[in-house]
Amino acid sequence: MDRPVDERPAAGVDGDLPADEPQAGAGMVVAPVLVAGQAAGGRRRPGGRSGFRPALAGAFAGLSAVGVKELRGRMRGRRAFVILTVYLVLLGAFAWMMELILEQQYARGAAGSAAIASAQIGRGVFGALMMLETLLVVALAPAFTAGAISLEREKQTLDMLVTTPISSVAIVIAKLFSALTYLFILILASIPLTALVFVFGGVAPDDVVRGYAVLLATAIGLGAVGLFFSALMKRTQAATIATYFGVLFVTLGAFFVFFFWNEMSTAGNGRGIGPIKGRPPEALAWLNPYFAQADVMCGVEDGFGDWCGRVAFVSQRPVFGGIAPFPTVEPGGQPAIEPGFPDVGVVGGEVQPFGVVRDSFWPKSAIAWLGLAAVLIVASVQLVTPTRRWRPSRLFGRRSTRRAVS
Amino acid sequence: MTAIVTARGLVKRYDGTLAVAGLDLDVPEGEIFGLVGPNGAGKTTILRILATLLEPTAGDAEIAGASVRRNPGDVRRVLGFMPDVFGVYDDMKVWEYLDFFARCYGIPAPRRRQMIGDLLELVDLGDKRDSYVQGLSRGMQQRLCLAHTLVHDPSVLLLDEPASGLDPRARVELRELLRELRALGKTILISSHILPELEELCTSVAIVDRGQVLAHGRVADIEQRLRVGAVLRVRVLGDLTELEAARAHFAAAPFVASSAVLDDGTIELGFRGDEEASARLLGSAVAAGVRIASFARAASDLEELFLQVTARAVEPAA
Repeated sequence: MDRPVDERPAAGVDGDLPADEPQAGAGMVVAPVLVAGQAAGGRRRPGGRSGFRPALAGAFAGLSAVGVKELRGRMRGRRAFVILTVYLVLLGAFAWMMELILEQQYARGAAGSAAIASAQIGRGVFGALMMLETLLVVALAPAFTAGAISLEREKQTLDMLVTTPISSVAIVIAKLFSALTYLFILILASIPLTALVFVFGGVAPDDVVRGYAVLLATAIGLGAVGLFFSALMKRTQAATIATYFGVLFVTLGAFFVFFFWNEMSTAGNGRGIGPIKGRPPEALAWLNPYFAQADVMCGVEDGFGDWCGRVAFVSQRPVFGGIAPFPTVEPGGQPAIEPGFPDVGVVGGEVQPFGVVRDSFWPKSAIAWLGLAAVLIVASVQLVTPTRRWRPSRLFGRRSTRRAVS
Repeated sequence: MTAIVTARGLVKRYDGTLAVAGLDLDVPEGEIFGLVGPNGAGKTTILRILATLLEPTAGDAEIAGASVRRNPGDVRRVLGFMPDVFGVYDDMKVWEYLDFFARCYGIPAPRRRQMIGDLLELVDLGDKRDSYVQGLSRGMQQRLCLAHTLVHDPSVLLLDEPASGLDPRARVELRELLRELRALGKTILISSHILPELEELCTSVAIVDRGQVLAHGRVADIEQRLRVGAVLRVRVLGDLTELEAARAHFAAAPFVASSAVLDDGTIELGFRGDEEASARLLGSAVAAGVRIASFARAASDLEELFLQVTARAVEPAA
């Protein structure tokens, strides 16, 4: 091989290597690469990089390395921009068609005055866009992350990655966010389109912020589900299938359990069947993003709208019967509810139709998704770390024998 | 010379299978050290433990003073690892591949640019800088993978079967590259079951079988320790009568186990003595009037040595 000849000394030039390092012999072809002194770790002794600041710098280096690599691959060429353009065109067409549908419905209907028609259309378009984007997130977030780790295993690049000083935490977090970045771009690019609903009215800017907060939290949670199965399974195909089953289980499956419980608890004149008694716990529906978005939509309703009715089905707070509870103030100054509505905790909250307290459900949903994401990230880190720190055998008393190097 | 890689009592068990059985190892600084052994001997497991990819069931190893158990992060900063089977990222250019690993080691941007150019020159891929990695030949990918192990200027390189799947030309190029790296002060631990390849390259070897080191050190030292013997080749001037007389002289000398005249007129001696004894043999032949044109010890046959060591199952070397 032809190699560049460089007659500078091979080592010990700028302090990266000690002076007693073996030198290239006379006439030896020496590449300048290791003369430049870029050594980040050569000859470093243990403990040389301990401390919070180097650890933080290392974590940022890892996040930046993996993030830049993933984004270079995903955003290369025209493909990413063509997909974004087509997506926005289709989303715009969908919003326009929804507006036409709502106009037609309003023209046919007898109720309401023309003065509130525009606001009703604005709310309808906003609800349709949020639900469509929720569907997009549910479909795409797991798909983007289900191969994040397993593809590294399949391509046999994971070993080389984990033998760098990047921590497993940095690898997992960078993989999650770089895989979701394109989805975030799709979501954020739709904000100007969604903002068109302000032309119609009926929707406040904070409602839009709530809707996008739910979308982002759901995307992170669903992405973490995909990432976990990607770290758990060797093959991307298996990880993708397991991810979608997992997503179905935590969203629709949990809601089905809620529905089943609700129906069975009314059996026997309300006595329930076996242990199934009383109202099903609301937490079963926390991971259903459609109910979270319904809660956001409920916040914009001022009549007896459909969205509040749906939230009322799962929320522990609503009062059924068609009349919103009337808050009163007790002598202590705390708002209370009229007798007969004991489970309506409307402390400081604005009561919507069906007695739903505004913002009572979606924050729990967002926190549940972010909490699930945190748990799954920790589990994924354990699966990616080559020499795992926590093992069942260690937790349950089997001790490994250690012999120190003498 | 001080050992930069040490292992003591290293054990690795997989679900009842003992892959590494109490291995002790010392790799001196600045050597090209070969791990020789048949498939399934435990070479890859040993390298993966040293690369912090596997946790030993028992025992410990240190690289440049850092324990693979207690300080895997420190170990990773001083070593470069090239696995036996490796892949490449799709949709990535050659310079981006090295840039990615340089970022992983936290090398600042201005140094990265120069370092990538220098490394590509070192592995002879300077003209492939903007090519896509998946479009490179197997040999080029192998060299690029080797380049990635060098981005942080490590003091120890762990190379698992680096020449597997390469054509003869690519093997020669790789061998040349490894010699250059040794000249730059790197300690290289290399595993292979292709013995002639290691024989030409390695300064020391460890013969591994069933997870144990059967012998380790310089090939000549192992040879001597095991009294395997060496082959001496002597070229003598003169006609057939003189040739036969010379052969008879050598055959009668001490430490000569066998003698034969080859078709090209060279006398080949099976010799069990050390270098001192071979000097005495040469002196006695010259004194006896044998006209010697050349007298040389044939290169050690690592393959033969390996077969003898594994057959004898000698005790683990210290």
